[in-house]
Amino acid sequence: MTSTGKIELMAPAGNFESLQAALDNGCDSVYFGVEQLNMRARASINFVLDDLPEIARRCQEKNVRTYLTLNTIVYDHDLSIVKTLLNKAKEANITAVIASDQAVIMTARSIGMEVHISTQVNVTNIETVKFYAMFADTIVLSRELSLRQVKKITEQIEKEQVKGPSGNLVEIEIFGHGALCMAVSGKCYLSLHSHNSSANRGACKQNCRKKYTVIDQETGFEIEIDNEYMMSPKDLCTIDFLDQVIDSGIKVLKIEGRGRAPEYVATVIKTYREAIDSYYDGTFSQEKVTEWMEALNTVYNRGFWSGYYLGQKLGEWSKESGSSATQKKVYIGKGMHYFPKASIAEFKIEAYDIKKGDKVLITGPTTGVQELVIEDMMVNDENSEKATKGDSLTLKLPFRIRLSDKLYKIVEA
Amino acid sequence: MVIVTLQRDKCIGCNYCVEFAPKQFQMSKKDGKTVLIKSVNNKGFHTLKSHDHTIVEACEQAEKACPVHIISVKEI
Repeated sequence: MTSTGKIELMAPAGNFESLQAALDNGCDSVYFGVEQLNMRARASINFVLDDLPEIARRCQEKNVRTYLTLNTIVYDHDLSIVKTLLNKAKEANITAVIASDQAVIMTARSIGMEVHISTQVNVTNIETVKFYAMFADTIVLSRELSLRQVKKITEQIEKEQVKGPSGNLVEIEIFGHGALCMAVSGKCYLSLHSHNSSANRGACKQNCRKKYTVIDQETGFEIEIDNEYMMSPKDLCTIDFLDQVIDSGIKVLKIEGRGRAPEYVATVIKTYREAIDSYYDGTFSQEKVTEWMEALNTVYNRGFWSGYYLGQKLGEWSKESGSSATQKKVYIGKGMHYFPKASIAEFKIEAYDIKKGDKVLITGPTTGVQELVIEDMMVNDENSEKATKGDSLTLKLPFRIRLSDKLYKIVEA
Repeated sequence: MVIVTLQRDKCIGCNYCVEFAPKQFQMSKKDGKTVLIKSVNNKGFHTLKSHDHTIVEACEQAEKACPVHIISVKEI
């Protein structure tokens, strides 16, 4: 919960680009993994221990809370790194740790660090909430619950005054948007069986997202399946019933996507920010939902469904292996220089071409994500309508760009 | 000669290499990642050169089992 009384919007940060995108688009908190013990150990270029102070600094500037994910299964040989990670996180003033293993929970408590219980724990009832309230101030519920079930839990917390170690009522968090897993609370062994690669150590190979046929071994007949992606759920989206989500009494809404691109984080956070704010100022409407859905559709998605929140018993499966996004980005070039007095940015074009009127995306670890339409451009120091590979492109930009920045063109997918 | 290489910084600490080749690999208690015993580190690539060809089979099993593909085994 935020100080404004609104629910907290929690953003994923797989790297500095996404972190900055989340901060620039109005998140209340961010979660991220450091080193290997988190559920996206494979998917994203994770932060390293030395990044913790910088993450904390950028977030504190904007009064954004920071959560370290340390929620894989933990072996004996991990215990020392668990301690190191938690100590360093505490030292860097990271707000809390998202944990599932009891060793992590106990270690965090022993150094006085706030604990959040990960969805990996599969918390589905009030008694379990009460149990974990002995250690944690926020509990992420199982993604398989309906909003009715969620509401019962939050009402009971209020009624029984279930408090966490901080002395405040335990806060309930749920997932609001992003990829879902075919397995209950992510406890999946498919990737381990086929690739020795355990999803529960953050190394999911996502083989559920592929196309399979089922063959009857006795007769050799292939069994016809209407939807061939029978193990790949569509992505969760709650924006069209966000009013009901907030009314269920949850305090934190988490956006999935530490493995996603920074523009995904920017778009999704911006959209949910608007939706949450409009709920509180009483302007939440069907017209707005339509606009928001359009915006969300522009970035990576496998088609949307409402998850199990509205009481659906069976999952909805995606119809294709990749994204159904309506837009995609094409790499054009890199940042070369910024002239602050004139507010001019120089890029080197390394692929394709770019012309006036094109919608572009500039991303970088410090720049975050900036989207704009090219109105005026100079190519090799002359006014021009178009730049191609090898050209030097200069644009007037109200923000600084850096050598690490990349320029993309946004095109219809 | 047998050359075993480990790109250690990408290790996720799953322990499979130790299960298959416990004489060549052990988990570090310090950072939870695997250690290729008696290897030399050159810019993150840890290399073990050995004339003992009896280690090949176990190391190859570790190579095959590694979920993040950071182990390589070569015989020259």
